[in-house]
Order: sequence, then C-alpha cells, then structure tokens
Amino acid sequence: MSVLHKVGRQVKYEPVEASPVKSFFVSMLTRDIKLEEAILDLLDNCVDGILRSPKRKNQEKPFAGFKADIVFNKDLFMITDNCGGIPWNLHEYAFRMGRSSDRPEDAPGTVGVYGIGMKRAIFKMGKDCLISTRNGTDRYEVEIKPEWIADETNWKIPVNAARKTMGEDGTEIVIGDLYAGISSRFGEDVKAFKAELERMVATHYAFIIDKGFTVRINGDIVKQYPTRLVFSKQSQGKEAHAIRPFIFKATTEDGVEIFVTVGFTRPIPSLDEIENEQDERQYSSIDAGWTIICNDRAVVYCDRSELTGWGEAGVPRYHNQFIAISGIVEFKSDDASKLPTTTTKRGIDASSPLYLQIKNKMREGMRLFTDYTNKWKTRADESKKQISAGKLLSLDEIKVEAESLPFAATKRTIPQGDQYRPELPMPKQLEPHNRRISFIKGVDEIKCVSKYLFDDDEKEPSIVGEKCFDLILREARK
Amino acid sequence: MKQPPYHMRQNKAVDRLMFIEVIKRLDKIGSLSEYTYYGLGGPYLEEFRLLYEFFPDIEMVSIEKNAEIVKRADFHMPCGKLRLEYADSRDFLIHYDPKDKKSIFWLDYTNLSMHTFEDFQTLLPKVTANSIIKLTLRAEPRDYKNEDDRISFRRKFEAFMPDSIVYPPVEFEKLAALLQEMLQIASQQILPAINELVFQPMASFYYTDGDGMFTLTGIVCERNQWDNIRNHFGDLPFSNFNWNKPKSIDLPYLSTKERLYLERHLPFNGDPGEGLLNILGYSIDEDRSKSIAKFRQYADFHRYFPYFIKAIP
Repeated sequence: MSVLHKVGRQVKYEPVEASPVKSFFVSMLTRDIKLEEAILDLLDNCVDGILRSPKRKNQEKPFAGFKADIVFNKDLFMITDNCGGIPWNLHEYAFRMGRSSDRPEDAPGTVGVYGIGMKRAIFKMGKDCLISTRNGTDRYEVEIKPEWIADETNWKIPVNAARKTMGEDGTEIVIGDLYAGISSRFGEDVKAFKAELERMVATHYAFIIDKGFTVRINGDIVKQYPTRLVFSKQSQGKEAHAIRPFIFKATTEDGVEIFVTVGFTRPIPSLDEIENEQDERQYSSIDAGWTIICNDRAVVYCDRSELTGWGEAGVPRYHNQFIAISGIVEFKSDDASKLPTTTTKRGIDASSPLYLQIKNKMREGMRLFTDYTNKWKTRADESKKQISAGKLLSLDEIKVEAESLPFAATKRTIPQGDQYRPELPMPKQLEPHNRRISFIKGVDEIKCVSKYLFDDDEKEPSIVGEKCFDLILREARK
Repeated sequence: MKQPPYHMRQNKAVDRLMFIEVIKRLDKIGSLSEYTYYGLGGPYLEEFRLLYEFFPDIEMVSIEKNAEIVKRADFHMPCGKLRLEYADSRDFLIHYDPKDKKSIFWLDYTNLSMHTFEDFQTLLPKVTANSIIKLTLRAEPRDYKNEDDRISFRRKFEAFMPDSIVYPPVEFEKLAALLQEMLQIASQQILPAINELVFQPMASFYYTDGDGMFTLTGIVCERNQWDNIRNHFGDLPFSNFNWNKPKSIDLPYLSTKERLYLERHLPFNGDPGEGLLNILGYSIDEDRSKSIAKFRQYADFHRYFPYFIKAIP
C-alpha cells in the first residue's frame, strides 16, 4: 500500500503497516544458525523440561532416567523425549515467536530466554510439523502445515487433543516436507552429518550427559568426553608443590554462581614433540583450551583464541606447546537472562561485563600453566613425572576436592571471590643448566650414522645426534 | 637402502589386478587416452609395468620424494609413457592441476596418519569428473593393543570418527570397516550433497602380506550421472557401490601342483570352500573352518592370483 496519497498538491499521511511478515521469520531467523545448532536448541528444550519435572530426585545424577531420541533420514526429522512435556500454561511461550514480557515464571535454571529455539529449528528443517506433548493431564498436539506458513495473515496455530498416546510425560516433534538441502544432509550426507552432530552433542552436553541424561542419535547412544584436569594429592616432599588446577569461585550480587578452574590434562610436550607436530599435524582436533558452561550446557568448547584470553594481557598466543592446558568456566543462574550467552546459546557474549571480569581470572590462572610449560619444556621428562603423579578429575570431582583446599578471599580485586593458586613445582635452577643443540642433516645421512652407531637405520634423529655428541665429549675429556 | 619386495606380495598383487578391472571399464564412460595415472611406484614401479601392459595409451606419473629411489626407479622404467616426479606427494597434490584432464590416482600409503585424510581431501575437489581415486592405508590392529594408542587414535582422527563411542577395534575386519567409514565422512565433508560432484565407492578390500592394509577405490563423478556410470561398472567383480563392508583378500599358500589340480574344478558349483577341501582331501590351514575360508578365497580370486616361480636368470 502506498504511504503517500497525493490529494491535489497536499500529501496525506497514513499509518504504516508494521505488522510482522511471517515469511521473514521463517526464512531470516533460520539463516543465522547452523543445522546442528538448531537441533541442539531442541535438546535444550528437553533439558528445560527436566528442570521443570518433579521426577528429578537423584542429586548426584539429576538427569538420570531422562532421554531424548533423535532420528533423521531424507524424509523426516524426529525428536522424542520423556522430559516432562510442555505444560499448558507455557503453550503461548512455546509456540509464539519470541517471548512476551507477561510470560509465567519458569523453573530455575531453564535456558529458554528468547522464545525462538523450537520454532527456529522447525522452520530450518521443513514445512510440515507435528508436535505432540503430554504434561500430566495436558495432552495436546500442534500441527504446522505448509499452508499456514504461506498464509501471511493467519498467526493462529490450531491446538487439538493429542491423537497419539504417549506412555509418559514428554514431547515428540516430527518434521516432514524437508527442504532439499536438509533432506540431502540427512540422506546422502548422513555419515558426515551424524558424526558432526554427535560430536557437538558429546561436547556441548558433556556435563549433562555426565549427570545421567541419555541422548540417542539414529539409535546410537552419545558418549561424553568431559574435560578432566590433573590433580595431585601426593606431597612430593613438600605439600605445597604439586600439580593442581587453579580455582576461582564467586557468586555475584544478582545470584550468578561462577566456578573457574584451569590446569593440565596431560604431560606437557617435549621440544621434539612440538617440532614433530609442526612437521606432521598429529591431531584433527585438539581438546586444549577453554570450555565455558552456562547452566550445564557448554556454550564454548576448547577455545584457544582471544575470546578466552589467549594472546592478550600477557598470556601468550595459543601454540602447540600449550596442548596440555585446559580450563573450564561454569556460570549458573536460576535466571538464564543473567548468563553471558549469545542469543543462539552456543556462544559467549564477549562484551558482557560479568564475562570480562571473569576473563581476568581465567588469564590469571592460565598464566601459571603457560609459565610452568615454558620453564619445564626443556625438561619435559622431569615434568612428565610430576604431572603423571596426579589423577585426572572431572569438574564435579574438582569441586569436591576444592572443599579441603586453602582458598584465599580476593576482596580487593574485581571480581570478588575465593581462589586457590596452586604452588606448581619450579626447576631447581631457574636458568636451565642444559642447552639444546639442534641441527639439520639429510635423512640418508642420519640413517647412515644411525646404522653405524646402532646397527639400525631407523633410530630417532635426536638419539643419533645425542650419541654423536656423547662420543665426541668422551674423546674431548680424555 | 631396504625396500620391501612389493612385487612378491600375493594379496597386494590381487588387489592391484582388481584395480586394473576398474580401469578397464573406464573406456565405457570415455576414452582411456583422456586419463593420466598418478601413483607412488617406489623403486620397482610394479603397478606401472602392469598398467602399461594393459593400457599402453595412458600417460603415467610416479611420485617419489627420495632422490636415490628416483634413480632406482629410473633404472626400472618400464616404458616411455611414464614420467618420474621427484616430489613429496603432499606438495605434489597441492600443486597438481589436472587442466581438464581426467586422472587416476593411487595414493598407496604404508602408514596411517592425518596426511592420508588431508591428501584425500585436497584431491577430491581438484580432480575432474570421472576421475578415479584409490587409497591404500595401514589397518593393523596390533597398532592399537594398548589403551594409550587407542586414545591417541581417537584424538588424532576425531574429525572423521563416525560416532562418539568408537575406538579402533582389535578385529582386522572391523578396523578396515571403520577406516572406510572415516574416508566416507572425509569425502562427504568435502563433497556434500549440495555439490554437483560426489565421491562414489567402487571397490574396497582389506588384506595382509605381513601388515594389515585397507584399500578403497572410488570415482569422483557428477551426482546425477552416478546411476548411469554404475550401470557401466555393473560387471565389476567384488564391487562395493554402497559403502558396504570391505571384502577380505586372504589367499592361501598353495603349491603350483595344488593350484593346477584345483583350477580344473573352477568355477565351482556350490560352496567352493567345502567343495575344494573335499577335492584336495586335506586341510591347508590350522583347522577345517579356516581351510574352508581359504578355499573360498582361492575360488573367488584364483583368476587374479599370481604365480611366483623360482627362476635362475
């Protein structure tokens, strides 16, 4: 409709049509999110369902007994859970585009904030969707048809009593009429897509799966790989010097609980290993770096960039020599809007004042371990003994151990909290009394000398070089 | 300088002839003279000798990074259609430009490393449609006997792992199947369904002549041409067009006299395992069931089974 009507030489101003355009929501909302992330949004809804569920009893494994089954093929996508279903009093929120301000209060810890996750996931995948849910006595279904998406004027979605009988409280979402690009990822590319989705679930849901939640993808149970840090209980002569993680914990005035820990996941690499890594890339992915968890979901996984403090404020840039360093930051809040996450819930809001404060602590802790690595890299064998003496502990296990550690209050710095700074072992001589000798020789020449010295032409070049030096040293000292 | 006598490896010899069967059928989808063959021929250039015998029109390139081996390969040059390229295979692939020519690649590795997958992924988007890629990689279960090695494998190849549970299995057959799945994932990552080109498998085998190996042969073709191409390869022996489990090549050691005696009963009507055992009248392996399995292998591959005969030059 034209805004301006010329009446003679006069212009008549009319109200502008500013109502939302449905096709905009359907096409634009879905562009900013990866398919795998859209599916993780659906899993987030499952976990929010568990947090609302009265069935949650087990304190140690609060998600035990709850499960989500994801099935996809070239024709459909389906997710079925037993996580409590969608209460009728939340139906407006669940199916409306965006969250209204008068929404009833939700259970503590749920992460749904913006009211777009489920809809975005559905519109990302296909044009036909049936959502069936059972929550106590509420048993209903919502069907979104291609005609509804095409109709720009109709914003009401019909709700019917459920035709499907569900054995327990939960939700089933079936999406059909898949878009061609989605259908091919679930069909022809299924191997690569399933592998990638499984990897993302295993990493982003590691802590929830560890607490008992079961996720199946096309029949296969997803196994988690949570980060574990070396924690040495051995005194090694002096109680104070042992490989343990740095820990910082605090609670903000508005109730966000924070737990930061950083340490070693494995022995530090020797100079030879670092050099070999440059020559031949050993790993397709590396589990070093920072993982940030918001209400049990990992929103950042193994980051090694400035986002998590690498390469800024005195912390060196990430390099393979730091492959053994990992950290975890946990934010917990009953009100998810207080958490420093992005709208996709798969990233951290880098400009959040809370996160910027915590990042100072992350860098402070990280420097202890980059410094240790630099001090010991020429003595990697000795360091290996120190690190291998410890046990690998999960985040929850570290929290248990932390109770008996001597924490110091950090009242004069921001953020305020309590922290434990481990006294990491230091070399007896700060300046190493050894120096590294390195030189380049032809492969055939090294093999020739190796054969001469060891009757074996396959010895490591460093061993061949060292033997040569030892022989000449003996000569020189005669 | 020690070089394993590749030409004396009977299972690999069969695999090589199975590859020849694939190349033979390429003339059904175009002229063989449009192809250039690239391989890692080592000092003896065995596969090139064989290729020239079957396909004298194909241009050939052998890539070798060791200068001494290049000299030795030059000594073994089987024909004038072969060019020796003194280069590391990774560097070669980075600079490789097919210039609209079709290629046949055999990346014949003796180990299993990230390079294997990186080379495959480098090559996939570069070759022209209807090019062939064959990869051979180490699949030795004893490499993963201890826990550290299994964890290291998982960590190393995380990006190609089919699921979050899998570790390298100790059974040869399952390890070969896992490597095939990993290559399938690697190919789908580079040529996803939105791409016009696709990597389709044609044959896959696992065998050991000392160390376990897995080999996969496939074609990079236009997605909508695959059904048509598959029809032309319909008679390919032991084909694997659907990423099914790889087939074992595990031939028995038989004397020439035994082989000639058995050959007159082949092809065998019924189960050749039981049948050939009964014809020979004795086991040729540790027990009856292993002997039956070996006889089945012999029946399957006897036409491709080389004779190694002692000769005095």
